[in-house]
Amino acid sequence: MPTYEYRGLVLHLPELDQEHWGYFEAARRHQLVVKRCLDCNLLRWEPGPSCPFCASLRWEWAPVSGKGEIYSYQIVYHSVHPGFRDWVPYPIVLVELDEQRGIPTPGYGLRIAANLVDAQFRPEREERVAIGARVQVVFMDLPNGLTLPQFALSGEPPRGRVWRHAG
Amino acid sequence: MPHPLRDRYCIVGVGETEYSQHSGRSTRAMAVEAVKKAMDDAGLTPKDVDGLLSYHMGDSTPSTAVASDLGIRPNFFMDVSGGGSSTEALIGLAMGAIEVGMCHTVAIYRSMNGYSQVRIGGTGVRAAAPLSGSALLTRPYGLISPLQQFAFAFTRHMMEYGTTNEQLAMVKVVHSRHASANPKAFKKNPVSVEDVLNSRWIVKPVAHLLDCCLETDNATCIIVTSAERARTLRQRPIYIMAVQGRGTRPFPDNPWAEAPITRIGGTYIAPRIFELAGVGPEDVDITGCYDAFTFTVVLQFEAYGFCKVGEGGHYVSSGIIALGGKRPNNTSGGHLCEGYTHGMNMVIENVRQLRGQADDYCPGWREGRHTYHYGPGGCRQVKDPEIAMNMGWGTPGYGSALILRR
Ligand SMILES: [Zn+2]
Repeated sequence: MPTYEYRGLVLHLPELDQEHWGYFEAARRHQLVVKRCLDCNLLRWEPGPSCPFCASLRWEWAPVSGKGEIYSYQIVYHSVHPGFRDWVPYPIVLVELDEQRGIPTPGYGLRIAANLVDAQFRPEREERVAIGARVQVVFMDLPNGLTLPQFALSGEPPRGRVWRHAG
Repeated sequence: MPHPLRDRYCIVGVGETEYSQHSGRSTRAMAVEAVKKAMDDAGLTPKDVDGLLSYHMGDSTPSTAVASDLGIRPNFFMDVSGGGSSTEALIGLAMGAIEVGMCHTVAIYRSMNGYSQVRIGGTGVRAAAPLSGSALLTRPYGLISPLQQFAFAFTRHMMEYGTTNEQLAMVKVVHSRHASANPKAFKKNPVSVEDVLNSRWIVKPVAHLLDCCLETDNATCIIVTSAERARTLRQRPIYIMAVQGRGTRPFPDNPWAEAPITRIGGTYIAPRIFELAGVGPEDVDITGCYDAFTFTVVLQFEAYGFCKVGEGGHYVSSGIIALGGKRPNNTSGGHLCEGYTHGMNMVIENVRQLRGQADDYCPGWREGRHTYHYGPGGCRQVKDPEIAMNMGWGTPGYGSALILRR
């Protein structure tokens, strides 16, 4: 059972964890995947064992583009975990992927939380974090063999409203 | 036709231990004290109580231990996993257990060394535990504390509705003034908007330090029985008009899936609970709203229809929720200032308010002689409230609600 250490966190990833094993396997290959229902064909996040739209138990991992926009964000100034204290203030972004926006219901989306990082995988500067900013997935390879999907600003022009807190 | 269970059950006893950050004793000792005090409050002895319910997240003490210590012989007991939406849910379970004849009088308690031992915020023991399952998708990103789990919804609320940090701060300002008239409150100092805005950021842009609730050590207890039995006991019965435990929005454990993510469990609970109770938000005199963070209060007032969606920031800063206002909220100071018992202390406060027994600094409060002058260190008894509502928070995904009347 693979166990990884990251910033003082111990991460267990047993092979029987079919909710997450394939996700991190794909990340190691620098591919972002979500689950696709083999009955209604809809994608889902997070990767549970059943389709939340039709309750089918049949699924496969499906690659997605890793492109999207920031749907919401937070800048962590106080880290409750000591492992992140050298990172504060660090952004966590909720990214809405371009795939399946508004399907099957208005407002539904595939939304993934991760850090917004710069080219050196350091926390992106706070003033560059904004709702509506375009992002793309990047893969942070850790020395212990674990790869964490992260997001970085893509430089694409925003498609809609851009908002950040005035403070 | 009224719902058949409306007003059939009552809260007859409440009790709590001191709110501190250094209890210096076990959750078992505190649980037993809280249950004992609630029995004394109701005028019940251990042989009159035959049901025990409790909930835990982090630390707790099992109900069989409490029964053993107090000589209670339970006909029904259960300890459930859970946090801030559990108080109302267990009140409903107690009613059900009595209704089907499993027992007749139920003590519901929560005991936690929430500061000195197991802190909800994710430090200490909780931070060191190995991660697996869906935690692998959040915690490696430093997304660990409850505030962080809620922050995406809060940030979107600011973006969509223009809710400001000044408006959020007013929740703390109001609750701190309430706490200043509460002898039990752990934090009694009234604070200003500037105090809140000048306290350090915890998660920007949604919470400064003073937007976050306390972590305290304490135990609390509520006793539920039938209305028939309640009318023979020491206190004025407080009738349960309606309860809804743990209603959810779609995808309750994936609250980011569906937009608007600012829509919380309460949105779905609201029509049910008001229909069961036969009243609407406008009929409620006092509220007890889960104030883990100032923002949770804003979202719940919107969800339950006390104001329009998007106008929660205005509602909490309008004076309505303050003592002396139209519908005071958390007159004890709530989680932000009185102490944190995972939802239960605000129900206890509303029971005492409906009885006219809010303890404060009025010289004659024990005899019910209140001044109704709501300054710091003064009165906090609302004048003759008839209907109270509690809103329990689990996450943005789920919550609970309770409507009481005297
Ligand atoms: Zn399906």
